[in-house]
Amino acid sequence: MKDLVHIFELEDLLQEANNALIRQAKADGKRVLGYTCYFMPEVLLDLPGCVSCRLRAPRSTSPDMATYYMSNRTCMYGRCLLERALEGGFNFLDAEMATETCTVTCRFQEHLQMMDIIQNPDFFCEFTDVPFKKNDNSIDHFETQLKAHVLDKLKEHFGIDTSDAALLKAIEEHNEICRLITEIGSYRKLDEPTITGTEFSIIMLATLVCPKYLIIDKLRDIAEELKTRKPDAKKNYRCKVVLAGSEEDDPNFVKLIEECGALVVADRHCYGSLPGREEIVVREGETPLRAIARHYLETSQCPRFMDQHVMRERKQHLADIVKEYKADGIVISQMKFCEYWSYERTIDTLIFPRDFGIPVCSIEKEYVNNAVGQLRTRFQAFVESIELKHIQNAQKGVTA
Amino acid sequence: MKGFLRFLKKLFGICAVIYGILFVVFYWDLDGKFMYYIWEPFMVKRFDNMKREDNTKIPYMKKDILEPREYTEIY
Amino acid sequence: MKLNMKDIKAKYRELFVVEKAPEDKNKPKDIKKMARDFWYGKPHEERRLGDLYVGDTGLYKHREWRGLPDTMYYFNMVWLYNYAHMVTDIIKYGDGPMGLIDFAKGTMRYRWMGQTYLTVMHWFDRGMEGMRGEAMKASAWHYRGMVSETIRQFQEMFIADKKMHGGKEGKHYDKNIAHNETVGGSFFYPFRGQLEDIPLEMIPYFVSVHVNSHTVLNYIDAAQSIGLPSDPCPMCQAEYGLFVHDDYPDFAPAMVTTNEACDGSVATSVLQDWFLDRPLYALPQPMRYDDPLVQKNHQKEIEQCWKFIEDQYGVKFDWDTYVKTAQSFNKLTEFEWEKWDVAANTPYYPISGVAQALYRIYYSQDGDRPIWHEMDEHVRKIMNKTVKNKIETFPKTRHRAIAWSCAPLYYSHWCTWAYNCWGINCVINMDSLMFDQYLRTDTYENALEDLSWMNEKAPMRAMAVGGQEHILSLFDYMERFNCDMVIMYDQLQCKGMQGIHGVFEDEFRKRNIHAIWVPHALPDKRTVSRKEIRKIISDYMTTVMHEEPLDPTLVEFDDDKSW
Repeated sequence: MKDLVHIFELEDLLQEANNALIRQAKADGKRVLGYTCYFMPEVLLDLPGCVSCRLRAPRSTSPDMATYYMSNRTCMYGRCLLERALEGGFNFLDAEMATETCTVTCRFQEHLQMMDIIQNPDFFCEFTDVPFKKNDNSIDHFETQLKAHVLDKLKEHFGIDTSDAALLKAIEEHNEICRLITEIGSYRKLDEPTITGTEFSIIMLATLVCPKYLIIDKLRDIAEELKTRKPDAKKNYRCKVVLAGSEEDDPNFVKLIEECGALVVADRHCYGSLPGREEIVVREGETPLRAIARHYLETSQCPRFMDQHVMRERKQHLADIVKEYKADGIVISQMKFCEYWSYERTIDTLIFPRDFGIPVCSIEKEYVNNAVGQLRTRFQAFVESIELKHIQNAQKGVTA
Repeated sequence: MKGFLRFLKKLFGICAVIYGILFVVFYWDLDGKFMYYIWEPFMVKRFDNMKREDNTKIPYMKKDILEPREYTEIY
Repeated sequence: MKLNMKDIKAKYRELFVVEKAPEDKNKPKDIKKMARDFWYGKPHEERRLGDLYVGDTGLYKHREWRGLPDTMYYFNMVWLYNYAHMVTDIIKYGDGPMGLIDFAKGTMRYRWMGQTYLTVMHWFDRGMEGMRGEAMKASAWHYRGMVSETIRQFQEMFIADKKMHGGKEGKHYDKNIAHNETVGGSFFYPFRGQLEDIPLEMIPYFVSVHVNSHTVLNYIDAAQSIGLPSDPCPMCQAEYGLFVHDDYPDFAPAMVTTNEACDGSVATSVLQDWFLDRPLYALPQPMRYDDPLVQKNHQKEIEQCWKFIEDQYGVKFDWDTYVKTAQSFNKLTEFEWEKWDVAANTPYYPISGVAQALYRIYYSQDGDRPIWHEMDEHVRKIMNKTVKNKIETFPKTRHRAIAWSCAPLYYSHWCTWAYNCWGINCVINMDSLMFDQYLRTDTYENALEDLSWMNEKAPMRAMAVGGQEHILSLFDYMERFNCDMVIMYDQLQCKGMQGIHGVFEDEFRKRNIHAIWVPHALPDKRTVSRKEIRKIISDYMTTVMHEEPLDPTLVEFDDDKSW
């Protein structure tokens, strides 16, 4: 396929956290607010006057200083973020809007809070408590937390307008991004997708780490181009897969899977769009903040949720994605030392092939992906096993 | 009376012997040695060879889909 | 196999004969000293406790001679008393003599039972090694309480257990509610008398590790055998392994679970749902628990949990029972504070570090039960005596230590060793400081508020979550308990503690505090052995502190195969 418009530009923007557009937003007088987790509603951090920036530590190598502070037995994502912060790579942040949603990112953010790491006199780090359930009580709680620990703090520190009108405007702009990403992502559902997983991953990540008002035009151009984009005459993949799992912010990892012959057609992981790019609906009689609190709890598919029916629905949801995106299997990827996904991956690996008939490639990886050769072998074997399955099914079909 | 005293004496004697034996068991850690060298290996063998249900074969998704109840529902 | 006299003699020597110390071999007999040693036991420095072990088994060639009064006390009031009470408890809590049959069936059915519980007297031995007088007595009472409560719980489970009754519900099945071992018993106070709340993994996993560290390895291996990585918290792994191994009793129709104390605990909920396949209520507790805004949410969750119980069991929330039970529990809390006061401010505290920590975590997690009050009365009398008569209970104390973070379950008795070998007296543990909350019962609102608070300060989570200031409160507690040394447990798989490792290093240096890092893997002794832990402490004591051991035979010995 022809190179997608803006794709190299967006890829460039992913090479550092303090990218050109973040710098431009700072020059425009915006406050840059860091966060690490989907449970911190980015829409609130994109209120007029500020921009959200989901933290990544691209081009990390060995996080030596962070390993001193957090040992080498913690998730490398958390450690690489701390290393980048200690190196001065996050000094552009005006605030870190933190959540205690998984242990290691929490500890990373606590380090920002207790040590004088971010060299910005205005910097503060504020924690929000996030519930573990999806009930009405949880929404009340989350709404209260977001008001006290996000809106009130932004107003207090930076004079940000947090009125309902401002929130509605932020929701509108956020929804525009969501609509575009959903549209762009929908081409992955085609029998022969006209966008690759790598391309989509770059676009999706760019929306998380760049000021939205500075990339929305690019997204429109991409969406426009995709309307007429044609798939390659000769299919250059052997099967389609869903990438599910924990934190994943490296398009090169998606590229690796695709180089092995598996086109990544859906992204159900921490930095993915399923969930992540659903529009926020403000119901009648609902305040915008309430709608935001409800939206993020309702849409999240995090293994952190504990309600019994939600745990079961989570499995069904993933199986539905596989069906909707016409995938042949799931790659479940877990960041090493992520406790939530250790268990989730284990159980998914057992359940999906047996209960849903969906093949699973189950992998554990580091944030800095050094084990490329090993992973390549795993993916190639997985692709071959799917092909074999197809051949066997076809033979069964013939004999039947 | 004499018979009763003799019985008491006998009882006391038996108790004293049992007490003495128990003290020997205690002092020389015979209970520990019995558990360690005889009981535990026997039990390990038993439990290692015991037939067990393979719980991982329980189909998770074939279970009844739970209805969200009042205490879990989003209104 | 052919046995000859030589082998028998060698075996006899291995199992029963304590070799004399080289320096004692040619010493002339001192009758006066022998008589003194017979009556009082040998002085600390001459005990040579390490010589008593049979190879690497942890068994004793003979149990320690503590002097006539203390040995006879230990024999009568600890060894005999507890063996006898183990039988009577089995009958008492098993609804009469039939309880013996349930006990026997359970022993033959469950590994954690058959392989573990009969070795319980060795758990006492390890916990009370080298102890004398009032310290030995008070600590033994705490152990006795834990054993009795353990028997009550497993008998309750066995009576109802479907697996032991041919797949049919046993007696009281529909009156039992199972809960994750990290759900506090206090949540069930309003239903005490109507229902029996029993933690599912407390006995099969948590208690069994302390008594016999061999058993749990099977469960950890079982968990990893189906693909779980080895790095998640081994406590959660072991809980999970119980299900994989089909070694959990099926004694209740519904279960309550929680997010306490970490991500791993949250993650195991899905497995509980999968394997148990019955109504499961999640009772999560807020992470940022200091925030006044989170309280309402948690209180509502508790109320919803009570509603879940009412719906499942057709029972009613009983305010009077709650008040009665909470008030009764408050008495335990009051005595705990008294104990802390004595421990912090005097050398007369009669409870060893291990007895203090285990008893505290056990009873406060379990909630109010008559046995705790009974035990506290015994200990109170002893403590009153030591304070009144100014009896120094650990007279060889060189350092008063505080143990921080989660402790190695397979080596809970390290405190005993540290005192015997180096004079390190572990005055208080982090786990002892949990649930530090008085329960008000004047109004429903106050009661709910305090209940919520108490459980937000449950084991581990009180210090490990909700902000770094909680875990760094170590330094305040150090001051409060007059400690000059920190034993810093370094649980290799605890992400929360690993994630703040460097900050502690910085703080120790800044404050010039002697801190010994003790790596361990909670229940899994294969990752870091007891011997390695001892070596780390001994190396620190010789190379940094430049001290001589009180008992040199304890510096290096092998106990790799011990319980």
